[in-house]
Amino acid sequence: MQIVELNSISKSYGAKVAVDKLSLTIPAGGMYGLLGPNGAGKTSSIRMMIGMTMPDSGTVELFGKPFERKALERVGYLPEERGLYKKMNVQAQLVFFGQLHGLTAAEALRRSKMWAEKLLITEALPKKTDELSKGMQQKIQFISTLLHEPELIIMDEPFSGLDPVNATLLEDTLLEQKRAGKAILFSTHRMDQVEKLCDSICLIDGGRAVLQGGMREIKSRYPRNRVLLEYEGSAKLAENPLVAEAKDYGGHAELKLKLGADAQELLRGLVQQVKVNKFEVVEPSLEEIFIQTVGGKSDE
Amino acid sequence: MNNTLLIMKREYLERVKTKAFLFMTLLVPGVMALSFGAAFLTAQHAGQDQHIAIASNDAPLALAVRDQLAESKTAAIEADVIAPADEMQQNALIRRVNDKQLDGYLWLGTKTGEATAVQYDTHSTPDMFVSSRIQDAVDNAQVRMKLEDKGFQRADVDRLMKQVTVNTAQVKDGKVVTSDAGKSFLVGYLMMFLLYFSVTYFSMNVARSVIQEKTSRIFEVMLATVKPSDMMAGKMLGVGAAGLTQILIWAVLAAAISVGTLLTHGAAGQIHLGVSPLQMAAFCVYFLLGFALYSSIAAAAGACFNAESEVQQMSIAIVLPMLVAMLSYGYIESAPNAAYSVILSIFPLTAPLAMFLRMLAQTPPIWQIALSVAVLLLTIYGTLWIAARIYRVGILMYGKRPTLPELLRWLRYA
Repeated sequence: MQIVELNSISKSYGAKVAVDKLSLTIPAGGMYGLLGPNGAGKTSSIRMMIGMTMPDSGTVELFGKPFERKALERVGYLPEERGLYKKMNVQAQLVFFGQLHGLTAAEALRRSKMWAEKLLITEALPKKTDELSKGMQQKIQFISTLLHEPELIIMDEPFSGLDPVNATLLEDTLLEQKRAGKAILFSTHRMDQVEKLCDSICLIDGGRAVLQGGMREIKSRYPRNRVLLEYEGSAKLAENPLVAEAKDYGGHAELKLKLGADAQELLRGLVQQVKVNKFEVVEPSLEEIFIQTVGGKSDE
Repeated sequence: MNNTLLIMKREYLERVKTKAFLFMTLLVPGVMALSFGAAFLTAQHAGQDQHIAIASNDAPLALAVRDQLAESKTAAIEADVIAPADEMQQNALIRRVNDKQLDGYLWLGTKTGEATAVQYDTHSTPDMFVSSRIQDAVDNAQVRMKLEDKGFQRADVDRLMKQVTVNTAQVKDGKVVTSDAGKSFLVGYLMMFLLYFSVTYFSMNVARSVIQEKTSRIFEVMLATVKPSDMMAGKMLGVGAAGLTQILIWAVLAAAISVGTLLTHGAAGQIHLGVSPLQMAAFCVYFLLGFALYSSIAAAAGACFNAESEVQQMSIAIVLPMLVAMLSYGYIESAPNAAYSVILSIFPLTAPLAMFLRMLAQTPPIWQIALSVAVLLLTIYGTLWIAARIYRVGILMYGKRPTLPELLRWLRYA
C-alpha cells in the first residue's frame, strides 16, 4: 500500500504558482527525500499533504484513501521552524501534543518518559522550553512528532542545529522507524544526509518535479565519469585530452571525464607520469546532480 | 478528549496559574476602590486643619465669613480676621503665607457693603474644594448680613439658611427602595470600569496569544492535527473562561465584604454593596457577549499581524467603541432612556457596556434588552464567520501585512 499518493496537485497564491502538477508516492517502510532550493514549493507541498491547505487541483491520498482529517492521527509532522510553547513545562507540553494526536494523558506521559530516556534528555522534562538549548528543543520536538507512533513521519530539516553526536542519534532513530515499516518524508537541503538515508527522492524546482525516482535508479542515469585520484609527482591533469574538468588539490584530485572517454585509458596514461596511490571511478554525487539539474537559477 | 476542549484547558491553565492573574484580580478592583475612596475623602475633608487670614475693609463681613468657615463639622477652617486692611498688610500677609505661617489669605474688597474683589492666595496649588468652600462661605455671609440688615431675626436667618438634606430612593417594581445616590454612582462606576477592563483586557489577550503562536511557529505543529476553527474556538473559550473566573472571584469577594459588614453592623438586610444578583448576572452575560465579539475581532487581527507591537497599536482602534460607551457613562446614567443612550445600548459594538449601564440606572424595556442581545448574537455569529476565515489563512502567512483586497480574497478561499 502507498502511504502517500499525490496526484498532480497544484497550488497558486495570487499570481505565484507555488506547486505545479506535482505527483509522488511514498511506500510503507520507505524513506523519501524531498529536495529543492529555497522557495521551490517543498513546504507548500507538505502543507497540502496534511490538509493544512487544500490543493487548487489534483488529489491527495493518505493510507490508500482520499484525504480525511481522521488520518492525521497517524501522521507525525516536524516543521522546519521550532514550534513549542516557550513558557510551558516540557513534560506537560509533550502530554498535550500526545493528547491532540489521540493518546490518553497517561499513555502520553509514559511514552514521553520512555522517549526522553532513549534520546538522553530526561533532565529536560521538568524544565520550561526557553530554558533549553536549541539542540535540546529540537530533540523534544522530535519526540513530540513520534510520540503517537505515526505511520507517516514528515520531517522538515530535522537535523538543523544539532551537533554530530545528536544528529547521529536522531538518524539512527529514523532508520529504526523505517525498519519498523514507517513511511518517512524528509525535506532538506543537506544532500549528504539524503544520499545516506533516502531510498527515493523528488527534486522540485519552481513548484515542479524536475527529477524523481529511486536513488540508485537516478544515479545510474548519470554516467560514471568521475574519477577520484591520489598521486605523487607532478601531472598536468587539466591538459589531459581525456579530462573535461579537473580540481587538482596537489596530491589528490577530482576529475570529470570527457564524453566517451575511457577511464582505463586515463589510468594507463597517468601511471606513466606519476605514482598512482588511488584511482576510483565514481558516480556523480547527489549534490552534483542537484546543481546540474537546478542550475544557477534557484533564486528565480 | 476533544481537541477544542484540550486547547481550551491549556489556554485556561496557562492564564489562571500565573501570579499575574492573581495580581490583576486583586489589584485592579483594589486600586479602583482606593482611588475612589481617596477622592471621596479629599472632597469631604477639603481644608481640614487649615489656618488662613481674612483681610477686609468690612469687619462685620469678614467676621461672618470666619463663622461660616468654622461651622463645618468635618473640615473646619480656622481664620484670623484683619480689618480694616490696607496694602501694607497685604504685603505682610504675602510674607506670612510664603513663610508657611499661614496656609493662605482671603482678600475681601468691598464697595457699599458688597464684596467686589475677592481673592484667595495660598502657598500650595489652588485647591478646587477649598476655593468652592470659601465661595460658599462668602455668599452665605453676604446673604445673612443683608437679611439681618432688612430686620430679620438671627434665629429666622439660621432657619432660612439651613442646608436641606436630600434623601434619595429608587422605585423598583412598584416599591420604593432606599438607594444612596453617591454610593450607587460609585458602585456603578466601579462595575462599569471592571466590565470595560475585563472585555478589553481578555480580548486583547486572545490577539497576543495568536501572535505568540504565530511567531513561535506553534501553528505549524498544531495545524498538523487540529482544524484552525477548533484552535480559534479553544483559544477563545480558554481565555474567556479565565476572564469569567476572575469575575467570579470578584463576586465572591464582594459577597464576603457584604456579609462582613452585615456581621459587624448587625443590621440584617440593610447594608449591601448596592449590587443585586440580577446586576451581577447581567455583568456576566454582557462580559461574555462583549468578549465573544471583541475577541473574535482580536483573533482575526492577531492572525494578520506578525509582531506583538503591531497588535498593541491596533488594540486602541479595536476597543474604541467600548471607550466611547465608557465615556458616555455620566450621560447614560442621568438619561438612560434618551435616544443616544438607547442607540448605544443596541449598536452591537457599544451594547455590552451601554446596556449594562442602562440596567444599572433603571430596568430598560424588556424588548430593548432582548433586541440588544439578539443584535449582539447575530453580530457575533457574523464576526466569528469572518474571523475564522481570516484566521485560517492569516496564521500561515508570514512577513507582509495583508491589504484589504487580500483580506477579501481570504474570505472566499474554500
